[in-house]
Amino acid sequence: MTEVETRSEPQGQISLVDLLDRLLGTGVVLAGDVVISLAGVDLVGVRLHALITSVRAEMRADGRDR
Amino acid sequence: MAEHGQYLYAVARGVEPAALSAARGLHDQPLRVLEHRGLDAVLSTVDLDEFGEEGLHRNLEDLTWLEAVARGHDAVVQAVAQSGAVAPMRLATIFTSDDGVRGRLDELYEALTAALDRVEGRHEWSVKVYAPERAAEPSAAPTTAPGSGADYLRRKKAQTLEKQTAEDDALRIADTVHDTLAAQCVASRRLRPQDPRLTGHEGTMTLNGAYLVDDHLAGSFTEVATRLAEENPQSRVEVQGPWPPYSFATLEQP
Repeated sequence: MTEVETRSEPQGQISLVDLLDRLLGTGVVLAGDVVISLAGVDLVGVRLHALITSVRAEMRADGRDR
Repeated sequence: MAEHGQYLYAVARGVEPAALSAARGLHDQPLRVLEHRGLDAVLSTVDLDEFGEEGLHRNLEDLTWLEAVARGHDAVVQAVAQSGAVAPMRLATIFTSDDGVRGRLDELYEALTAALDRVEGRHEWSVKVYAPERAAEPSAAPTTAPGSGADYLRRKKAQTLEKQTAEDDALRIADTVHDTLAAQCVASRRLRPQDPRLTGHEGTMTLNGAYLVDDHLAGSFTEVATRLAEENPQSRVEVQGPWPPYSFATLEQP
């Protein structure tokens, strides 16, 4: 089975993961006046944290409903 | 009273105000262009409670914030790219004054000019290769008739070998795709394969390639990518673009 996905929208909508790969990793490294290391941003951790937070929020919402 | 900073989205050349008129900065702030020695710094004002060191530490852990800022940043970069060569900055490149921006442009003038020269008239394309989810489903996995211990060991060994071969195949395909495409373009990079927990994709990503392609050669680049996909039906090949040259406007030679 050959699967080729070619997406070439004129606006080039980029998925969030692809965007963060680039904006946190490979973009021009030109230190601003506010210096912060982006290398320390753990996306998997951020993602899991966001999932847990939203699940908790849903559980709280469910709790109120009953 | 909150202090303000300047968020730098990109450094470009020949930014036309018309191209930026439709775009807005983060939090709907107006964009402005600070011109210095022929370089255009595209900026908007941000609150340092949010974008100062402390705020950033907190906010970078927040996916909703991260997504909004990344999307906002990208929208501005895409708008600037309409005018011509663009060197996108990393997320959250913040200055406290215009003098700070000018100073950095002076300091990195040569490197920024070289980066803009490198990406002019070119765009980034992304090509990813995924190995199938279970590359090595053992061909014979008899669950009945346990057989002797020796049989078991033989079977186990054969399965391990098969799995190894499938993995080797997948990596070889990734290398072939990358090498072939790299020969078609100006510059290429292999980014770290993405974690399936972030992308939700199936199978192991064996190639997360970025390619800087001349705009007039984009057609033949995607043709080659399509041919590579057809020649390697074991793997899934995904081609995306054209994007602003995020991976290639780096200040050192990629």
